[in-house]
Amino acid sequence: MTLFRTLTPVLALALGLFVAASPAAMAQQGPLRITITDGVIEPLPFALPDFIPETGGAGDYAQQITRVIASDLSGTGLFREIPASAHISRVSSFDAPVAYEDWKAINAQALITGAVSASGDKIVVKFRLFDVYSGQQMGDGLQFAGTPATWRRMAHKVADQIYARITGEGPYFDSRVVFVSESGPKDARQKRLAVMDYDGANVSYLTDSSSIVLAPRFSPTGNQILFTSYESGFPRIYLMDTGSMQVAALAQQEGTMTFAPRFSPDGRRVLFSLERGGNTDLYELDITTGQSRQLTNAPSIETAPSYSPDGSQIVFESDRSGTQQVYVMPASGGEATRISGGAGRYSTPVWSPQGDYIAFTKQNAGRFHIGVMRSDGSEERLLTASFLDEGPTWAPNGRVIMFMRESAGAGGQSSLYSVDISGRNLRQVTTEGPASDPAWSPLLP
Amino acid sequence: MRLRDDTGMTTGQIVSAVGHVCLLLWVVLGDWLFSAKEMPEVTVAEVSLMTSSEFDAMVKASPDAAPAKAAETTPAQPVTPPKPAEPKPAEPKPVVEDVPQDVPVSDAPQPIETPDPVAPLADTEQPVPVAPSDAKPKPRPIDRVAAVPVDSPTDAPDISDTPTPKASENAAPDAPVVEQEPEAAPQEATTQIVTEAVETEDKAPQLPPTASLPPRSRPKDLVKPEEPPKEEQVASAEPAPETPPAEDAVADAIAAAVADAATDPAADAPAPSDSTGAASGQSNAPSGPPMTGAETDAMRVAVQACWNVGALSMEALRTTVVVGLSVNPDGKPDAASIRMVSSDGTSDVATRQAFDAARRAIIRCGSKGFPLPSEKYDQWKELELVFDPNGMRMR
Repeated sequence: MTLFRTLTPVLALALGLFVAASPAAMAQQGPLRITITDGVIEPLPFALPDFIPETGGAGDYAQQITRVIASDLSGTGLFREIPASAHISRVSSFDAPVAYEDWKAINAQALITGAVSASGDKIVVKFRLFDVYSGQQMGDGLQFAGTPATWRRMAHKVADQIYARITGEGPYFDSRVVFVSESGPKDARQKRLAVMDYDGANVSYLTDSSSIVLAPRFSPTGNQILFTSYESGFPRIYLMDTGSMQVAALAQQEGTMTFAPRFSPDGRRVLFSLERGGNTDLYELDITTGQSRQLTNAPSIETAPSYSPDGSQIVFESDRSGTQQVYVMPASGGEATRISGGAGRYSTPVWSPQGDYIAFTKQNAGRFHIGVMRSDGSEERLLTASFLDEGPTWAPNGRVIMFMRESAGAGGQSSLYSVDISGRNLRQVTTEGPASDPAWSPLLP
Repeated sequence: MRLRDDTGMTTGQIVSAVGHVCLLLWVVLGDWLFSAKEMPEVTVAEVSLMTSSEFDAMVKASPDAAPAKAAETTPAQPVTPPKPAEPKPAEPKPVVEDVPQDVPVSDAPQPIETPDPVAPLADTEQPVPVAPSDAKPKPRPIDRVAAVPVDSPTDAPDISDTPTPKASENAAPDAPVVEQEPEAAPQEATTQIVTEAVETEDKAPQLPPTASLPPRSRPKDLVKPEEPPKEEQVASAEPAPETPPAEDAVADAIAAAVADAATDPAADAPAPSDSTGAASGQSNAPSGPPMTGAETDAMRVAVQACWNVGALSMEALRTTVVVGLSVNPDGKPDAASIRMVSSDGTSDVATRQAFDAARRAIIRCGSKGFPLPSEKYDQWKELELVFDPNGMRMR
């Protein structure tokens, strides 16, 4: 007790000095600084008045182009269109000054104005993008010219510019998707290759339904398509030129089956799986020389290879550990490193165009997932969950993934879905009928 | 067994030894350990002995003598003596009145001496939800020194003065005013992404919140008192009826010294600011009391409610930007002054996206004025807001 009494003044004095020193030590050394680490995640509201027709025949185009742009932006889940009925200000001319206060009043954070002119066989679309709250134009105004038949592409181009300017991500609206169009009952399904705009429009068919086709893949330039066909009775890989529609079989070897092809980033080589005598390994084929070489040699099944964007590595699936897992190895072959570490089976890995993530299919506890992970297996994140999700493919900007989802039951149908790699904005892609095996093209020129 | 083998002691002996040791320790140290609190002095009253005859004589002499029967049934009565008659004077204890004499409390600078109003109110009641009467709850006078100088001592009383029934039903007492939320937080707003996989993993879907968290700030329009009257506060400290002993008196002395230091103009004068918005002819250094944590929190909440990172690229979500701005006395930002101070972005595009989002947040949520205390304008007329989205990237 005595000791305590003795120490009390000392302790109190020390505490007092500390407290007294604190304000001085914490004295503001400049502007007050506040750190903000939490924000909100919500679609950015934008206003998109109908583009102004500047010539007599441009009225319909102006309206349709405006709707496609709005659909593109809203479809990302990152933007929300403010309906025209809420607009206070009316844009009467492409060059009219912007009444920022009117757009602020309806909480529009971005404003897009545009105009369309049509003359003969030519359409010109121009637009401007404004940051309403800063009262500034974002980037320069741009215009695109094309034929009336390409009006949708011009709309996608405009939307791409807006998307890229606001988000900082690369564009992807002006791209196409090749997929397998399905028809008929589940036990007698007919499949044929089809290609469409990324949003499901402009579908065209590349093959008939006389033989089963699987896993089409675009070349890096978008003018060739690899796919697997059962035309010969066994799975075999083929190369189609989308310009001439010519089809050629690749890597034909007696007594083998080839499947799961994918282009190298330079488009000159093809990775694929070859099954011989019950064993499946990875091979690489030089398209120009026709020479192929074996990359793996294991008694297990190695398949679904995908190059890294720089072409230096290959990610693939293998059951060498007993279950399907994802491995990475040098593009020249060699020792593979397993990167999937969670419970369940991992398959169909695909390297993103930016190289930062690998998308995969995961099967665990009776459910299928589409997920992403870093190339070292870290930061695994499952984006979807359903009865059957499979076969992810990356959008050209590496931010969106499209995949196939199949519903349960005998009458189950497959369809295409897309999801942002953050896990947001899961939505079905409109197709004419059941569809599977999507593969995204590069951005169109 | 080993113990027994080595020492030859039985278990009983060991137990006995331990017991004795404990007893000895208690005897030696017990007083020191357990006498920390001074036991109250035993009140002793002197009782004089008398014989039965003397007692009878006394009873007879008394007109209101109690019946004998009652006396028999309450034999313990005599043990409770008529204390007031001859109480033994108890040893005088330190009394309240002594403290002011020993410690110059009344000389201490006032702001420090201000009772910390939050703690007592929070301890004693949950003031905001009920507020049944107009009577302003007075903080219990305390004689302790606040841990830090309290510049705006009446936070809690102010809140209880302006009860908001709606807020009091739903919100925590420290986050009472829902309507203070900026208008622009739409329904879709969320601070967390829940993927389908996560959502379906749990049986109960973890839907994102429909709105951002309510601000934990006080309403900005609360009437804050002017500088607390110094004399009044000293007076409130002085009459502390339960002022205990000398340790607190020492603490009070320290408090006086602390208050001196805290109110010393030279001590808390901030370093000269390099900001551009300082009033001409005056020092750039902010003057006046510093912003409290609650006040900066209110500002933080106000800005983050409009900081929409949903449309940012992954690269921009890895970019921290420091944005400088000038703020008008009405709390509205000067849009023209919003500028990039620094960033750690690896690409110009991502940095620009991050800055644009930050600028939008400042302008949007500042359009009606930020909830900043007007009496501390010198502190916040120049702000630097650090927008760090790294935690938002993969939510």
